Amino acid sequence: MAGKTIVITSGKGGVGKTTSSANIGTALAMQGNKVCLIDADIGLRNLDVVMGLENRIVYDIVDVVENNCRLEQAMIRDKRYDGLYLLPAAQTRDKTSVTPFQMKELIEKLKEDMDFIVVDSPAGIEQGFKNAISGADRAIIVTTPEISAVRDADRIIGLLEAEGLRDPEVIINRIRADMVDRGDMMGIEDMIEILAIDLIGIVPEDEGIVVSTNKGEPIALNDNAKAGQAYRNIARRIMGEDLPMMKLEKDSFITRFKKLVGLS
Amino acid sequence: MASVFSFQAVSDGIVMNFRDGSTFGNIKKAVSFHAAEASDFFTGVNLYLNLSGLELAFEQLEELMEIVKNYNQVNKIYFTARKIKKDEKKDEQYSDAVIINRTLRSGQRVKHQANVVIVGDVNPGAEVIAGGDVIVFGRLRGVVHAGAGGSKNSQVAALKLNPTQLRIASLIARSPDDSDSSKLQAERAFIENDQIMVEKI
Repeated sequence: MAGKTIVITSGKGGVGKTTSSANIGTALAMQGNKVCLIDADIGLRNLDVVMGLENRIVYDIVDVVENNCRLEQAMIRDKRYDGLYLLPAAQTRDKTSVTPFQMKELIEKLKEDMDFIVVDSPAGIEQGFKNAISGADRAIIVTTPEISAVRDADRIIGLLEAEGLRDPEVIINRIRADMVDRGDMMGIEDMIEILAIDLIGIVPEDEGIVVSTNKGEPIALNDNAKAGQAYRNIARRIMGEDLPMMKLEKDSFITRFKKLVGLS
Repeated sequence: MASVFSFQAVSDGIVMNFRDGSTFGNIKKAVSFHAAEASDFFTGVNLYLNLSGLELAFEQLEELMEIVKNYNQVNKIYFTARKIKKDEKKDEQYSDAVIINRTLRSGQRVKHQANVVIVGDVNPGAEVIAGGDVIVFGRLRGVVHAGAGGSKNSQVAALKLNPTQLRIASLIARSPDDSDSSKLQAERAFIENDQIMVEKI
């Protein structure tokens, strides 16, 4: 198999790279793909926690590049899907423990029997970022409707282009239709106008994300959650399907009423 | 003696302009006299000998070179046959342009001594610095500096002029805080009465 490597990155921290990585990886596995998630945030690992696999880590990515173990030994099989693996980051080391060259080698090896490799990039533009994008075939940038996040996303697109990663795609995360309508939040068109790249998905703000992160269960597994649906759609778009973008719905009168009386 | 040549300062040296109709004998005499007198005044500068149409034989040039060498520690010596005027020299520098066929993103920077033409947007966080004019066929939202070498004749034009900061020569302006960013309206900025002015095109 010749898998595709997708790097999930953003520049700015806290916009939802790890959440997006976990959910895209899970949703791709739900579609029957063999997927390996790589946490490239060495020293500040989180992807294992979000995936609910923290207590299964024995070896990590640094052990692999330092030949303390075989690659297969460090890969943690997901508890829900057989085709989903996680290669965790080391927590006690730093970004310089791995070089872009080693990362590339590692990914080449993984590509042999994976359909997709999803790399969760750390925030920033330094070594950790450079490690994460080396070996990537495709980049997805996560941004939120804030000027600072869009500015950083723009910077990242420029850096990706300089590294030869052309035509990245963007996920707009945590958007709130009601605020956009009031003019209190940047709209999707405004953001795409600045970034001038393809939109691969819109993820609405969802309280469920906090709950699912804390429980270690990606929201993509939840059939009723809007955000889960959004990530499942993104996975299908990554596989080449042409799906229309999700309509951002404002709360209907009935749901508002339900909220008011505490039913929803 | 001074009537044979005059001096003129340019950015990187000194031009020695010989008067029209000077004979080689006159030049030789005047230069040797001056070189002896100047001592180390010309240390480290470039010396341009502007012969202004005077035609000299190769041997005569060599002879002149020998004399000019007596100027102590001159950096480089050039022979030229054109009239060099300070302003003219600058205009000549600005006469070519670099064309950028893509959008400049945050953190990207273009610096060129002449004109810069960008076919694409200049996003916030990007910088364009030009010795001459800056023309943007797109939205200009980053920082732009035209006439960075001090030329107040330089201008900035864009299909949407909404820069973070706009500089021409030594003047700085910024877009009004309430400027709306959606509609395209070509505008240009230039200096008038020592102020940056913006007008629709």
